[in-house]
Amino acid sequence: MKTLIRQIKALVRLSFMELWRRNDVLALVILALALMVPLSLSSPFGAAGASRYLDEAALLLIWAFSLFISLGTGARLFPPEFESRTIYPLLAKPISRGALLAGKYLGAVAASASALAIFYLLFVGCSLLRGGSLSMEVLQGFVFHLAFVALAVALALAGSLVVTPSANLTLSATALTAMFFFGRRLPDYADAVSAPLSWLVRLAYALGPHVEFFDMRQRLIHGWGGVDAVVFAAVLAYAVAYAGVCLVFAWLILKRKRF
Amino acid sequence: MRYLVPCLALAVMMAFAIARFAPERMPQMVQGDDALSVAFADAKAVLSAAMVQKADSYFHGGIDMECSRWKGARDHEGHEEHDGHCEHHHGGEPSAPADPWLWINRRVRAPERHVHLDGKKSVELLPWFWASVKADPHNIDAWTTAWYVANNEMKDRDLARQILDEAKAKNPESLEIAWTEARFVYAGGKGDVAEAERLLEAARSMGKRKCGGDLSALSPHEAEAFCGILDYLSKIYEGRGMKDAIRPLIDEVRATGTDSPVAAWMLDRL
Repeated sequence: MKTLIRQIKALVRLSFMELWRRNDVLALVILALALMVPLSLSSPFGAAGASRYLDEAALLLIWAFSLFISLGTGARLFPPEFESRTIYPLLAKPISRGALLAGKYLGAVAASASALAIFYLLFVGCSLLRGGSLSMEVLQGFVFHLAFVALAVALALAGSLVVTPSANLTLSATALTAMFFFGRRLPDYADAVSAPLSWLVRLAYALGPHVEFFDMRQRLIHGWGGVDAVVFAAVLAYAVAYAGVCLVFAWLILKRKRF
Repeated sequence: MRYLVPCLALAVMMAFAIARFAPERMPQMVQGDDALSVAFADAKAVLSAAMVQKADSYFHGGIDMECSRWKGARDHEGHEEHDGHCEHHHGGEPSAPADPWLWINRRVRAPERHVHLDGKKSVELLPWFWASVKADPHNIDAWTTAWYVANNEMKDRDLARQILDEAKAKNPESLEIAWTEARFVYAGGKGDVAEAERLLEAARSMGKRKCGGDLSALSPHEAEAFCGILDYLSKIYEGRGMKDAIRPLIDEVRATGTDSPVAAWMLDRL
């Protein structure tokens, strides 16, 4: 057990270093500043005092960047190892494929979560500078966002073992973005179309990753307050269950994979 | 390959020829000569309308009124509960086992209370109206609603004047903007009534000129604004005891062919 934990810790550290070596996060922070600074300096119609639109833009950017980082990190966990054939020395070590998968996954989640924490710190810092106050729902929103990151990394990791990297990124990004914006409206779309298509829409509604559950943007922007404990637990349970299914699927594929 | 360049040249020439000889049949009408207009054309109007919808959502405290199924607001201040079509599809509050996803969505994405953003807080709506008119300077709804927010909610007449001036500069032929300006100057009878009358008469003339004298040819929006212009004129005439001047106004309201209640209000003033 001790050995397993040591192996997983080493893999987590490797995955974590990988993201920060690529400087993706730095590029995204610079991009966010380039977008947000001019926006915060503008005063629509010359009227001062509006701030919710800045929060809205900032949170949308955080969501977009976290999607980019999570999918990129999750999708790059195994394919480079296969291409450069470094998977052979890795598997030659006394480590099970399950531990390899768990270690890489946890490392990717930790790396993406650290980038997310930086984005949220910037968001809260800017909000405080504008005279806002720190509320508990920001913490709840951050935890929900972490759950999203965990789910997105698991989905991209499972996809990376099934399809090519570009197809995986495209499919994962499409599925997550579509569910984020339209997931809650799928029953309406199913009602509006005829039989075979409506079944497909209902299937997507039942099985698709409901990442819109983690979207606390409106609560944070308009000060609705946090969600209650039961809902909070239900959303986290959903994230754990969905990510768990993706990881078990990935483990089954990796276990049978011949190199 | 050798036919590629002549074919492309022919296609470009045909495109220009169709646009030149049948401009009214073109699928998109580019309103403006800036890069954004040329690149996006009608898409700008769609974007602009989306911004107004966003402002409406802000007014309702962040609730998207297009689909009220998600809000589940237990306490709605100010007016009746908006029951969108989505609500009826699912027959009210779902139990967790029936549709757990809907159950979660309603609780994550719905406020406990439905409150409106009014008074000084309405300043939060202005960025969306500003973005809307930047995307499409001919979105009259965005201009007039932004003016309403500044004038009636924020009680900032300088800001309201500034918005009106910009709106007029971008839409000098708009009856709605002209009517709005006259209402602003009239200020419920407490403003400059003589100036309001001058503006209303100018707007009335503009309306008649736009339709070539046939008032029934005005678009529904323009006809509504035209009736509003006549309504305000009749108020001014009533205040001065010029009841005879109201009769021709009633005829003009009827000539628009709309079922506007303005004619009935005017009859009450006689």
